[in-house]
Amino acid sequence: MLIYLCEDSLEGVFSGIYKAFEEKRDKNDTALALQEEPLLFAEYQSVEPDADRTRRVMNTLLRRFGEEDALSLCLALSSEDPGKAQAVYGTVADGLRRNCRPGHLFDNLAESTVHKAFSLARAAGRELHHLQGFVRFEELEQKVLYGVIGPKHNLVTFLMPHFADRLPMEHFLLYDAVRDICGVHPAGAAWYLQKGSGERFALPGAGGTLRLSEEEKQYQTLFRHFCQAIAIRERYCPELQKKMLPLRYREYMTEWKKQS
Amino acid sequence: MMEYLALGGGQSLTEKLQILTDAAKYDVACTSSGVERKGNGRDMGNSIAAGICHSFSSDGRCISLLKILLTNECIYDCRYCQNRCSNDLPRATFTPEEVCTLTMEFYRRNYIEGLFLSSGILRDPTFTMELLYRTLWLLRNRYRFRGYVHVKAIPGAEPELIRRTGFLADRMSVNLELPTAAGLKALAPNKHRKSILTPMRQIQSGILANRNELALYRSAPHFVSGGQSTQVIVGATPESDWQILNVAESLYQKFDLKRVFYSAFVNVTGDKALPALPGGPPLLREHRLYQADWLLRFYGFRASELLDEERPYFNVLLDPKEDWAVRHLECFPVEVNRAPLEQLLRVPGIGVKSARRIVAARRSAALGFHDLKKIGVVLKRAVYFITCSGRLMYPVKLEEDAIVRGLTDGKDRVQFGSDGMTYRQLSLFDDGSFSRPVSALERQAGALGEL
Repeated sequence: MLIYLCEDSLEGVFSGIYKAFEEKRDKNDTALALQEEPLLFAEYQSVEPDADRTRRVMNTLLRRFGEEDALSLCLALSSEDPGKAQAVYGTVADGLRRNCRPGHLFDNLAESTVHKAFSLARAAGRELHHLQGFVRFEELEQKVLYGVIGPKHNLVTFLMPHFADRLPMEHFLLYDAVRDICGVHPAGAAWYLQKGSGERFALPGAGGTLRLSEEEKQYQTLFRHFCQAIAIRERYCPELQKKMLPLRYREYMTEWKKQS
Repeated sequence: MMEYLALGGGQSLTEKLQILTDAAKYDVACTSSGVERKGNGRDMGNSIAAGICHSFSSDGRCISLLKILLTNECIYDCRYCQNRCSNDLPRATFTPEEVCTLTMEFYRRNYIEGLFLSSGILRDPTFTMELLYRTLWLLRNRYRFRGYVHVKAIPGAEPELIRRTGFLADRMSVNLELPTAAGLKALAPNKHRKSILTPMRQIQSGILANRNELALYRSAPHFVSGGQSTQVIVGATPESDWQILNVAESLYQKFDLKRVFYSAFVNVTGDKALPALPGGPPLLREHRLYQADWLLRFYGFRASELLDEERPYFNVLLDPKEDWAVRHLECFPVEVNRAPLEQLLRVPGIGVKSARRIVAARRSAALGFHDLKKIGVVLKRAVYFITCSGRLMYPVKLEEDAIVRGLTDGKDRVQFGSDGMTYRQLSLFDDGSFSRPVSALERQAGALGEL
């Protein structure tokens, strides 16, 4: 059994997949892992992440499985699950072997690897969809919008295109406080990611250098009033609200923050 | 027109927003789905076909759009409506600019997905429609907003105004309010069924004509691309579920509506002609109607299969699909590995997604109950109605009483082991109460439309 040891990132895992196919490995005798674990009869081999190989794997996935399923594979890799690399590798190998048509990669749900990759992608996709709605931007001085999130999956990469398409002429920052990654979008230009920017992007309330604009407080108050006024008293049901809007998101949302 | 609006001054924006949100909250349509529109790299906004919920209010309903009235002044005196002219409450009117600014600033901060604009009738329907049109025109052309916009068409307004507004909006709706003409006559003396159906028909034919136009010219302007919807109040008048469902079905068939929304009646005016509803709004009824609505739209059911004249109300304990299934045991059990999609869709516990997944997955291998669980089938409900490769999951009595007892018991009558496969012999002490109280969660989930 040969186990490729990959870096915990999309590039890392895709480079591992490339390597496995380059060396024409039998998928039953090969695995991808993120960490070394003591296994009898296993031989470990490290794989360096490589941008060019990642691109080639990505192109193959897009061509063979279609855009939707390729995106699902990427979403599965945004999870924190230690078995994600193996699940994605197994699914890709299975799909290529079956020669499946685009859009049918996850058909074989009875297969446990495929099901694993599928459920990882589904969980990440759900959180992504939630966050598209639950991200809150605050306006800083000089009209820069600033949003903080603390998601379970590493989703900044997936959220940035959504907001860049939506707010093309705005400067905005989207900061993942858990992973210390910040997406930066300058008005009218392409967005990029910055790692390890913790101090520079301190919360406006937490003594950081960022200052809110003057109008910001007014709109926050307006929105809070709106959220209260829109509820129907006769149908009051906090359990349902909790089910639809889990508590872990509320920490970062304007309407749930304590007013200073 | 502008003079009239200028007179509304004196209130702060916060006060106005509070009054006009409060006035709009009984309208249930808050979906932002059905339109896929990419950004153009310059103007603010796009639209996602799946729709996005941005928050949830304390009644558990989704907040997706900035749902407001342009004004809550109204010349009509509908008995069920809190904005009726004889009701004494604070009145306010937004200027079109205020609506636009609020929409843009809320949208930038990702509070909302777009605007839902309705209005009380100010002076006359045409005048009101003109105000709505003017507001949307400003929002689209001066403020360059590309997000989702849902606007009401005012019955009785000039058709040309409705047509023009349709080119600026993603969805339009005319509220039917009460399912029958008699109910409308009793509670809304100023509204007539005919005047409600006329703009509905106009929008329908507008959408159809636009579809043909778009087929010819790809860059032609879109007319109400998200389709039209309507709302029916449940429980204000004595109509049965059967009548309401029939009305909904014919609206879907004859008017090509995208959605019919059901709104459990809340007595806000205390009018003598209205039911008092001491137990709160009829939320379970509303929930059952939404479930049946889904069956009509996505599961290939017809209204006449679910209810009929002899049984005009939904079962309180069973959802409409379970209810249909136990009355048609001759159609079951269904063999999962062979049955066509339409037949799978009729099994309780199998939804549209899981039915599709079953059809895809069984191409590569015969499915067992384990696999169904992975696929997302709710075995607790489906188990009475399906076989895998000719086998039932465990011996169940295919008999109406036994199945109903199994379906309605809150604490799983059949205890699943860790592998989900074992069953336990029933003992004397297992016999839980027959009636399962319907939880508040279940009752209200329908109100959201799950979109």
